[in-house]
Amino acid sequence: MEFSYPDEREAANAARVRALEALLIEKGVITDTTVDKVLGYFESTMTPVNGRRIVARAWVDPEFARLLAADTPAAIAQLDLPDGMAGAEGEHLMAVLNEPGVHNLVICTLCSCFPWPVLGLPPYWYKDPVFRARAAREPRAVLAELGVAIAEDTELRVWDSSGHSRWFVVPSRPPGTEGWTEEQLAGLVTTESMIGVALADQPAAA
Amino acid sequence: MKLQHNLGGLENLGPIHFEPRVFVEDWEQRIFGIHVAMMGLSDHLGGAGPRYPIDEVPTEFSSIWTWADLRKGAEAMHPFAYFQYRYYEKWLGGISGFFTSEGYLSEDELEARTAVYRRDPGLPLPEGGDRRVDDQVIRYLREGDSPRQGPARSPAFAVGDRVTVKDVPPADHTRLPGNVRGRTGTVERVFEGDYGYFCSTGPDGIGDPMPVYIVRFEPTDIWGELAEPAAVFYAELYQAYLTPAGPTSASSAREESA
Repeated sequence: MEFSYPDEREAANAARVRALEALLIEKGVITDTTVDKVLGYFESTMTPVNGRRIVARAWVDPEFARLLAADTPAAIAQLDLPDGMAGAEGEHLMAVLNEPGVHNLVICTLCSCFPWPVLGLPPYWYKDPVFRARAAREPRAVLAELGVAIAEDTELRVWDSSGHSRWFVVPSRPPGTEGWTEEQLAGLVTTESMIGVALADQPAAA
Repeated sequence: MKLQHNLGGLENLGPIHFEPRVFVEDWEQRIFGIHVAMMGLSDHLGGAGPRYPIDEVPTEFSSIWTWADLRKGAEAMHPFAYFQYRYYEKWLGGISGFFTSEGYLSEDELEARTAVYRRDPGLPLPEGGDRRVDDQVIRYLREGDSPRQGPARSPAFAVGDRVTVKDVPPADHTRLPGNVRGRTGTVERVFEGDYGYFCSTGPDGIGDPMPVYIVRFEPTDIWGELAEPAAVFYAELYQAYLTPAGPTSASSAREESA
Protein backbone atom coordinates (compact mmCIF):
# COMPACT_ATOMS: atom_id res chain seq x y z
CA MET A 1 0.00 0.00 0.00
CA GLU A 2 1.05 3.59 -0.55
CA PHE A 3 2.68 5.25 2.46
CA SER A 4 3.49 8.76 1.39
CA TYR A 5 0.81 11.38 0.92
CA PRO A 6 0.90 14.92 -0.39
CA ASP A 7 2.42 17.44 2.02
CA GLU A 8 -0.97 19.10 2.34
CA ARG A 9 -2.56 15.96 3.77
CA GLU A 10 0.31 15.36 6.21
CA ALA A 11 0.24 19.00 7.35
CA ALA A 12 -3.51 18.79 7.95
CA ASN A 13 -3.11 15.60 10.00
CA ALA A 14 -0.19 17.06 11.95
CA ALA A 15 -2.17 20.19 12.83
CA ARG A 16 -5.24 18.20 13.82
CA VAL A 17 -3.36 15.85 16.15
CA ARG A 18 -1.52 18.78 17.72
CA ALA A 19 -4.84 20.58 18.25
CA LEU A 20 -6.27 17.44 19.84
CA GLU A 21 -3.30 17.04 22.19
CA ALA A 22 -3.44 20.74 23.13
CA LEU A 23 -7.15 20.61 23.96
CA LEU A 24 -6.76 17.39 25.96
CA ILE A 25 -4.01 19.05 28.03
CA GLU A 26 -6.10 22.20 28.61
CA LYS A 27 -9.13 20.17 29.64
CA GLY A 28 -7.16 18.05 32.10
CA VAL A 29 -7.53 14.73 30.28
CA ILE A 30 -3.76 14.28 29.91
CA THR A 31 -0.77 16.42 30.90
CA ASP A 32 1.82 18.26 28.84
CA THR A 33 4.23 15.34 29.38
CA THR A 34 1.95 12.29 29.02
CA VAL A 35 2.57 11.62 25.33
CA ASP A 36 6.32 12.22 25.65
CA LYS A 37 6.52 9.79 28.57
CA VAL A 38 4.64 7.10 26.63
CA LEU A 39 6.97 7.52 23.65
CA GLY A 40 10.01 7.56 25.95
CA TYR A 41 8.91 4.26 27.49
CA PHE A 42 9.05 2.60 24.08
CA GLU A 43 12.25 4.36 23.01
CA SER A 44 14.21 3.52 26.14
CA THR A 45 12.69 0.42 27.74
CA MET A 46 10.47 -1.71 25.53
CA THR A 47 12.55 -2.28 22.43
CA PRO A 48 13.64 -5.29 20.36
CA VAL A 49 16.75 -5.42 22.57
CA ASN A 50 14.62 -7.42 25.01
CA GLY A 51 13.70 -9.94 22.34
CA ARG A 52 17.32 -10.25 21.21
CA ARG A 53 18.41 -11.10 24.73
CA ILE A 54 15.66 -13.72 25.11
CA VAL A 55 16.66 -15.37 21.82
CA ALA A 56 20.38 -15.31 22.63
CA ARG A 57 19.73 -17.01 25.97
CA ALA A 58 17.62 -19.66 24.24
CA TRP A 59 20.50 -20.34 21.84
CA VAL A 60 23.05 -20.98 24.60
CA ASP A 61 20.81 -22.65 27.19
CA PRO A 62 18.68 -25.61 25.97
CA GLU A 63 16.89 -25.84 29.32
CA PHE A 64 15.85 -22.20 29.01
CA ALA A 65 14.73 -22.81 25.42
CA ARG A 66 12.51 -25.69 26.55
CA LEU A 67 10.92 -23.54 29.27
CA LEU A 68 10.51 -20.65 26.81
CA ALA A 69 8.49 -22.92 24.51
CA ALA A 70 6.41 -24.45 27.31
CA ASP A 71 5.86 -21.43 29.58
CA THR A 72 7.10 -18.26 27.90
CA PRO A 73 6.34 -15.79 30.75
CA ALA A 74 8.11 -18.01 33.32
CA ALA A 75 11.22 -18.20 31.14
CA ILE A 76 11.27 -14.45 30.50
CA ALA A 77 10.90 -13.78 34.22
CA GLN A 78 14.23 -15.56 34.79
CA LEU A 79 16.11 -12.93 32.79
CA ASP A 80 17.23 -9.55 34.04
CA LEU A 81 14.97 -7.58 31.71
CA PRO A 82 13.17 -4.27 32.34
CA ASP A 83 10.22 -4.11 34.71
CA GLY A 84 7.07 -4.50 32.61
CA MET A 85 7.72 -7.55 30.42
CA ALA A 86 4.23 -8.80 31.40
CA GLY A 87 2.73 -5.33 30.97
CA ALA A 88 0.64 -3.89 28.15
CA GLU A 89 0.59 -6.23 25.12
CA GLY A 90 2.89 -8.59 27.01
CA GLU A 91 0.29 -10.06 29.37
CA HIS A 92 0.30 -13.39 27.53
CA LEU A 93 3.53 -13.80 25.59
CA MET A 94 4.05 -16.92 23.51
CA ALA A 95 7.34 -17.91 21.89
CA VAL A 96 7.43 -20.29 18.93
CA LEU A 97 10.82 -21.83 18.15
CA ASN A 98 12.22 -22.49 14.70
CA GLU A 99 13.99 -25.81 14.34
CA PRO A 100 15.22 -27.96 11.47
CA GLY A 101 12.14 -28.58 9.31
CA VAL A 102 9.98 -25.90 10.99
CA HIS A 103 9.77 -22.18 10.27
CA ASN A 104 7.31 -19.94 12.14
CA LEU A 105 5.68 -16.70 10.99
CA VAL A 106 3.57 -14.38 13.15
CA ILE A 107 0.80 -12.26 11.64
CA CYS A 108 -2.37 -10.43 12.69
CA THR A 109 -4.98 -10.51 9.94
CA LEU A 110 -7.53 -8.53 11.98
CA CYS A 111 -5.35 -5.61 13.06
CA SER A 112 -1.78 -5.32 14.36
CA CYS A 113 -1.44 -7.32 17.62
CA PHE A 114 2.24 -7.39 18.56
CA PRO A 115 4.33 -8.37 21.63
CA TRP A 116 5.31 -4.83 22.66
CA PRO A 117 7.63 -5.65 25.60
CA VAL A 118 9.62 -8.13 23.49
CA LEU A 119 9.74 -6.40 20.11
CA GLY A 120 8.70 -2.80 20.73
CA LEU A 121 6.09 -1.32 18.39
CA PRO A 122 5.18 -2.97 15.08
CA PRO A 123 6.84 -1.78 11.86
CA TYR A 124 4.59 -0.44 9.13
CA TRP A 125 4.86 -3.46 6.85
CA TYR A 126 3.41 -5.68 9.60
CA LYS A 127 0.32 -3.46 9.78
CA ASP A 128 -0.07 -3.22 6.01
CA PRO A 129 -3.25 -4.94 4.75
CA VAL A 130 -1.28 -6.39 1.82
CA PHE A 131 1.14 -8.21 4.14
CA ARG A 132 -1.65 -9.31 6.47
CA ALA A 133 -3.67 -10.72 3.57
CA ARG A 134 -0.86 -12.39 1.65
CA ALA A 135 1.13 -13.89 4.55
CA ALA A 136 -1.91 -15.89 5.64
CA ARG A 137 -2.27 -17.87 2.42
CA GLU A 138 1.08 -17.55 0.63
CA PRO A 139 3.73 -17.25 3.36
CA ARG A 140 6.43 -18.86 1.19
CA ALA A 141 5.85 -16.43 -1.65
CA VAL A 142 5.98 -13.52 0.80
CA LEU A 143 9.20 -14.78 2.38
CA ALA A 144 10.76 -15.34 -1.04
CA GLU A 145 9.83 -11.78 -1.98
CA LEU A 146 11.68 -10.61 1.13
CA GLY A 147 14.74 -12.67 0.16
CA VAL A 148 14.19 -15.69 2.43
CA ALA A 149 14.06 -19.08 0.74
CA ILE A 150 12.31 -21.74 2.85
CA ALA A 151 13.04 -25.33 1.82
CA GLU A 152 10.13 -27.21 0.27
CA ASP A 153 10.16 -29.83 2.99
CA THR A 154 10.20 -27.29 5.81
CA GLU A 155 6.80 -26.84 7.47
CA LEU A 156 5.77 -23.19 7.49
CA ARG A 157 3.61 -22.44 10.54
CA VAL A 158 1.59 -19.24 10.36
CA TRP A 159 0.25 -17.91 13.68
CA ASP A 160 -2.64 -15.46 13.42
CA SER A 161 -2.82 -13.30 16.57
CA SER A 162 -6.60 -13.42 16.85
CA GLY A 163 -6.86 -14.03 20.62
CA HIS A 164 -5.08 -12.95 23.81
CA SER A 165 -1.61 -14.37 23.04
CA ARG A 166 1.15 -12.19 21.63
CA TRP A 167 3.50 -14.34 19.60
CA PHE A 168 7.16 -14.00 18.69
CA VAL A 169 9.59 -16.29 16.89
CA VAL A 170 12.89 -17.65 18.18
CA PRO A 171 14.89 -17.98 14.95
CA SER A 172 17.44 -20.74 14.46
CA ARG A 173 21.00 -20.06 15.62
CA PRO A 174 23.20 -19.37 12.62
CA PRO A 175 26.05 -21.80 11.93
CA GLY A 176 29.59 -20.63 12.66
CA THR A 177 28.73 -19.04 15.99
CA GLU A 178 30.11 -21.72 18.29
CA GLY A 179 31.64 -20.24 21.39
CA TRP A 180 30.05 -16.82 20.89
CA THR A 181 28.90 -14.91 23.96
CA GLU A 182 25.22 -14.12 24.47
CA GLU A 183 25.98 -10.49 23.76
CA GLN A 184 27.63 -11.35 20.44
CA LEU A 185 24.75 -13.65 19.51
CA ALA A 186 22.13 -11.02 20.38
CA GLY A 187 23.70 -8.82 17.72
CA LEU A 188 22.61 -11.32 15.04
CA VAL A 189 18.94 -11.24 16.03
CA THR A 190 16.82 -8.82 14.01
CA THR A 191 13.25 -7.70 14.66
CA GLU A 192 12.24 -9.24 11.34
CA SER A 193 13.70 -12.60 12.37
CA MET A 194 11.61 -12.54 15.56
CA ILE A 195 8.44 -12.07 13.50
CA GLY A 196 9.51 -14.74 11.04
CA VAL A 197 10.03 -12.79 7.82
CA ALA A 198 13.80 -13.17 8.07
CA LEU A 199 16.43 -15.53 9.42
CA ALA A 200 18.92 -14.39 12.03
CA ASP A 201 21.90 -12.60 10.49
CA GLN A 202 24.89 -14.68 9.47
CA PRO A 203 28.17 -14.08 11.36
CA ALA A 204 29.82 -12.46 8.34
CA ALA A 205 27.13 -9.81 8.29
CA ALA A 206 27.45 -9.01 11.99
CA MET B 1 -19.14 -10.15 7.26
CA LYS B 2 -17.08 -7.01 6.85
CA LEU B 3 -14.21 -6.88 4.39
CA GLN B 4 -11.92 -5.53 7.16
CA HIS B 5 -12.34 -8.90 8.95
CA ASN B 6 -11.66 -11.01 5.94
CA LEU B 7 -8.21 -10.08 4.69
CA GLY B 8 -6.51 -13.45 5.07
CA GLY B 9 -5.85 -14.94 1.64
CA LEU B 10 -7.09 -12.12 -0.61
CA GLU B 11 -5.76 -12.45 -4.13
CA ASN B 12 -4.22 -10.08 -6.64
CA LEU B 13 -2.63 -7.68 -4.17
CA GLY B 14 0.78 -7.26 -5.73
CA PRO B 15 4.12 -6.91 -3.93
CA ILE B 16 4.52 -5.97 -0.28
CA HIS B 17 5.71 -2.47 0.49
CA PHE B 18 8.37 -3.28 3.08
CA GLU B 19 8.42 -0.13 5.21
CA PRO B 20 10.41 -0.96 8.37
CA ARG B 21 9.67 2.24 10.29
CA VAL B 22 7.11 2.26 13.10
CA PHE B 23 6.03 5.83 12.35
CA VAL B 24 6.47 7.44 8.94
CA GLU B 25 5.48 10.96 10.07
CA ASP B 26 6.19 12.65 13.40
CA TRP B 27 2.51 13.39 13.99
CA GLU B 28 1.75 9.66 14.09
CA GLN B 29 3.71 9.33 17.33
CA ARG B 30 1.41 11.83 19.03
CA ILE B 31 -1.83 10.01 18.20
CA PHE B 32 -0.23 6.73 19.29
CA GLY B 33 0.70 8.33 22.63
CA ILE B 34 -2.80 9.74 23.10
CA HIS B 35 -4.33 6.29 22.46
CA VAL B 36 -2.02 4.63 25.00
CA ALA B 37 -2.85 7.34 27.54
CA MET B 38 -6.58 6.70 27.04
CA MET B 39 -6.06 2.96 27.57
CA GLY B 40 -4.03 3.68 30.71
CA LEU B 41 -6.69 6.01 32.12
CA SER B 42 -9.69 3.90 31.07
CA ASP B 43 -12.41 3.72 33.66
CA HIS B 44 -12.57 -0.09 33.50
CA LEU B 45 -9.04 -0.44 34.92
CA GLY B 46 -10.41 -0.10 38.47
CA GLY B 47 -11.73 -3.62 38.02
CA ALA B 48 -8.77 -4.93 36.02
CA GLY B 49 -6.11 -7.33 37.32
CA PRO B 50 -3.83 -5.00 39.29
CA ARG B 51 -6.87 -3.08 40.69
CA TYR B 52 -5.61 0.27 39.54
CA PRO B 53 -6.82 3.13 41.80
CA ILE B 54 -8.37 4.71 38.73
CA ASP B 55 -10.93 6.79 40.67
CA GLU B 56 -8.08 8.61 42.43
CA VAL B 57 -6.23 9.60 39.25
CA PRO B 58 -6.74 13.36 38.70
CA THR B 59 -7.84 13.22 35.06
CA GLU B 60 -11.01 14.49 33.46
CA PHE B 61 -11.12 11.29 31.40
CA SER B 62 -14.03 9.20 32.67
CA SER B 63 -14.70 6.81 29.78
CA ILE B 64 -13.85 3.25 28.96
CA TRP B 65 -11.28 3.08 26.17
CA THR B 66 -9.64 -0.17 25.08
CA TRP B 67 -8.38 -1.82 21.92
CA ALA B 68 -11.96 -2.89 21.33
CA ASP B 69 -13.07 0.75 21.15
CA LEU B 70 -10.33 1.63 18.68
CA ARG B 71 -11.30 -1.39 16.59
CA LYS B 72 -15.00 -0.53 16.67
CA GLY B 73 -14.09 2.71 14.92
CA ALA B 74 -12.11 0.90 12.23
CA GLU B 75 -14.81 -1.73 11.81
CA ALA B 76 -17.52 0.92 11.52
CA MET B 77 -15.80 2.47 8.51
CA HIS B 78 -17.07 1.90 5.00
CA PRO B 79 -14.97 -1.11 4.03
CA PHE B 80 -13.62 0.50 0.89
CA ALA B 81 -12.70 3.66 2.81
CA TYR B 82 -10.85 1.53 5.37
CA PHE B 83 -8.18 0.75 2.78
CA GLN B 84 -7.78 4.34 1.65
CA TYR B 85 -6.34 5.66 4.90
CA ARG B 86 -2.88 5.03 6.29
CA TYR B 87 -2.83 3.16 9.62
CA TYR B 88 -2.56 6.11 12.01
CA GLU B 89 -4.95 8.26 9.99
CA LYS B 90 -7.65 5.81 11.01
CA TRP B 91 -6.55 6.20 14.63
CA LEU B 92 -6.69 9.98 14.36
CA GLY B 93 -10.17 9.86 12.87
CA GLY B 94 -11.49 7.37 15.43
CA ILE B 95 -9.95 9.02 18.49
CA SER B 96 -10.82 12.61 17.63
CA GLY B 97 -14.33 11.42 16.73
CA PHE B 98 -14.61 9.75 20.14
CA PHE B 99 -13.62 12.88 22.04
CA THR B 100 -16.12 15.04 20.16
CA SER B 101 -19.00 12.55 20.29
CA GLU B 102 -18.45 12.02 24.03
CA GLY B 103 -18.53 15.75 24.66
CA TYR B 104 -14.94 16.23 25.84
CA LEU B 105 -14.55 18.87 23.14
CA SER B 106 -16.56 20.20 20.24
CA GLU B 107 -15.81 19.74 16.57
CA ASP B 108 -15.76 23.55 16.24
CA GLU B 109 -13.16 23.80 18.98
CA LEU B 110 -11.02 21.15 17.30
CA GLU B 111 -11.34 22.79 13.88
CA ALA B 112 -10.46 26.21 15.25
CA ARG B 113 -7.38 24.94 17.08
CA THR B 114 -6.35 22.91 14.03
CA ALA B 115 -6.46 26.12 11.99
CA VAL B 116 -4.17 27.79 14.55
CA TYR B 117 -1.59 25.02 14.22
CA ARG B 118 -1.92 25.03 10.43
CA ARG B 119 -0.93 28.70 10.43
CA ASP B 120 1.86 28.24 12.96
CA PRO B 121 3.00 24.60 13.19
CA GLY B 122 5.80 25.57 15.60
CA LEU B 123 3.44 26.96 18.23
CA PRO B 124 4.16 25.10 21.48
CA LEU B 125 1.65 22.94 23.30
CA PRO B 126 0.03 24.38 26.42
CA GLU B 127 1.65 23.52 29.74
CA GLY B 128 0.22 21.91 32.81
CA GLY B 129 -1.24 18.81 34.38
CA ASP B 130 -0.90 16.62 37.42
CA ARG B 131 1.99 14.11 37.19
CA ARG B 132 -0.13 11.42 38.80
CA VAL B 133 -1.90 11.14 35.43
CA ASP B 134 1.39 10.23 33.75
CA ASP B 135 2.25 7.85 36.59
CA GLN B 136 -0.97 5.89 36.04
CA VAL B 137 -0.38 5.64 32.28
CA ILE B 138 3.16 4.32 32.79
CA ARG B 139 1.96 1.96 35.51
CA TYR B 140 -0.60 0.57 33.05
CA LEU B 141 2.18 0.00 30.51
CA ARG B 142 4.24 -1.88 33.12
CA GLU B 143 1.42 -3.93 34.65
CA GLY B 144 -0.99 -4.37 31.75
CA ASP B 145 -4.61 -5.43 31.58
CA SER B 146 -4.85 -9.22 31.39
CA PRO B 147 -8.18 -10.70 30.28
CA ARG B 148 -7.44 -13.97 32.10
CA GLN B 149 -9.89 -14.89 34.82
CA GLY B 150 -9.33 -17.92 37.00
CA PRO B 151 -8.81 -21.50 35.86
CA ALA B 152 -10.65 -22.80 32.82
CA ARG B 153 -14.07 -24.09 33.79
CA SER B 154 -14.77 -27.34 31.97
CA PRO B 155 -13.71 -26.49 28.43
CA ALA B 156 -16.06 -28.01 25.85
CA PHE B 157 -13.21 -29.22 23.64
CA ALA B 158 -10.00 -31.16 24.22
CA VAL B 159 -6.72 -31.38 22.32
CA GLY B 160 -7.27 -33.36 19.14
CA ASP B 161 -11.00 -32.56 18.85
CA ARG B 162 -12.26 -31.54 15.43
CA VAL B 163 -14.08 -28.21 15.58
CA THR B 164 -15.93 -26.13 13.03
CA VAL B 165 -15.87 -22.36 13.25
CA LYS B 166 -19.27 -20.66 13.40
CA ASP B 167 -20.21 -17.93 10.99
CA VAL B 168 -21.46 -15.59 13.71
CA PRO B 169 -23.55 -12.56 12.74
CA PRO B 170 -21.75 -9.28 12.11
CA ALA B 171 -21.58 -7.00 15.15
CA ASP B 172 -19.75 -3.77 15.96
CA HIS B 173 -16.62 -5.77 16.80
CA THR B 174 -15.25 -9.30 16.42
CA ARG B 175 -12.07 -11.30 17.06
CA LEU B 176 -12.98 -13.93 14.48
CA PRO B 177 -11.03 -13.72 11.21
CA GLY B 178 -13.20 -14.21 8.16
CA ASN B 179 -10.94 -16.76 6.52
CA VAL B 180 -11.64 -19.41 9.18
CA ARG B 181 -15.42 -18.96 9.37
CA GLY B 182 -17.18 -22.18 8.46
CA ARG B 183 -13.85 -24.02 8.32
CA THR B 184 -12.95 -27.13 10.28
CA GLY B 185 -9.72 -27.56 12.20
CA THR B 186 -8.18 -29.46 15.09
CA VAL B 187 -7.73 -28.22 18.66
CA GLU B 188 -3.98 -27.96 19.22
CA ARG B 189 -4.02 -26.39 22.69
CA VAL B 190 -6.55 -25.60 25.40
CA PHE B 191 -5.48 -22.59 27.45
CA GLU B 192 -5.28 -23.05 31.18
CA GLY B 193 -7.53 -20.14 32.10
CA ASP B 194 -10.78 -18.57 31.01
CA TYR B 195 -10.48 -15.34 29.08
CA GLY B 196 -12.85 -12.43 29.14
CA TYR B 197 -12.84 -9.65 26.57
CA PHE B 198 -12.84 -5.87 26.96
CA CYS B 199 -16.53 -5.69 26.11
CA SER B 200 -19.44 -7.87 25.11
CA THR B 201 -19.56 -8.21 21.34
CA GLY B 202 -23.27 -9.06 21.48
CA PRO B 203 -24.38 -11.59 18.86
CA ASP B 204 -20.72 -12.11 17.94
CA GLY B 205 -20.44 -13.93 21.26
CA ILE B 206 -17.38 -12.95 23.30
CA GLY B 207 -16.98 -10.87 26.47
CA ASP B 208 -17.78 -13.20 29.37
CA PRO B 209 -14.87 -15.38 30.56
CA MET B 210 -14.64 -18.53 28.46
CA PRO B 211 -12.06 -21.10 27.32
CA VAL B 212 -9.78 -20.20 24.42
CA TYR B 213 -8.14 -22.64 22.03
CA ILE B 214 -5.38 -22.73 19.48
CA VAL B 215 -6.93 -24.37 16.43
CA ARG B 216 -4.81 -25.82 13.66
CA PHE B 217 -6.14 -25.56 10.11
CA GLU B 218 -4.80 -27.22 6.99
CA PRO B 219 -4.52 -24.35 4.50
CA THR B 220 -6.11 -26.50 1.79
CA ASP B 221 -9.23 -26.71 4.01
CA ILE B 222 -9.40 -22.91 3.90
CA TRP B 223 -8.15 -21.98 0.45
CA GLY B 224 -8.29 -25.21 -1.54
CA GLU B 225 -5.92 -25.33 -4.49
CA LEU B 226 -4.78 -21.77 -3.83
CA ALA B 227 -3.08 -22.83 -0.58
CA GLU B 228 0.69 -23.27 -0.50
CA PRO B 229 1.99 -26.77 0.25
CA ALA B 230 3.74 -27.63 3.54
CA ALA B 231 2.11 -24.84 5.53
CA VAL B 232 -0.11 -24.80 8.62
CA PHE B 233 -2.44 -22.01 9.75
CA TYR B 234 -3.09 -21.50 13.45
CA ALA B 235 -5.74 -19.21 14.92
CA GLU B 236 -6.53 -18.53 18.56
CA LEU B 237 -10.28 -18.82 18.98
CA TYR B 238 -12.77 -18.22 21.79
CA GLN B 239 -15.10 -21.09 22.65
CA ALA B 240 -18.14 -19.07 21.54
CA TYR B 241 -16.82 -19.21 17.98
CA LEU B 242 -16.57 -23.02 17.87
CA THR B 243 -18.92 -25.94 17.44
CA PRO B 244 -18.17 -29.68 17.26
CA ALA B 245 -17.33 -30.74 13.73
CA GLY B 246 -19.94 -32.97 12.18
CA PRO B 247 -20.03 -34.97 8.96
CA THR B 248 -21.44 -31.93 7.12
CA SER B 249 -19.62 -29.50 9.30
CA ALA B 250 -19.78 -26.34 7.24
CA SER B 251 -23.56 -26.31 6.85
CA SER B 252 -24.21 -27.35 10.45
CA ALA B 253 -22.02 -24.49 11.67
CA ARG B 254 -24.23 -22.03 9.84
CA GLU B 255 -27.38 -23.57 11.28
CA GLU B 256 -26.03 -23.42 14.85
CA SER B 257 -25.05 -19.80 14.56
CA ALA B 258 -28.32 -18.81 12.92
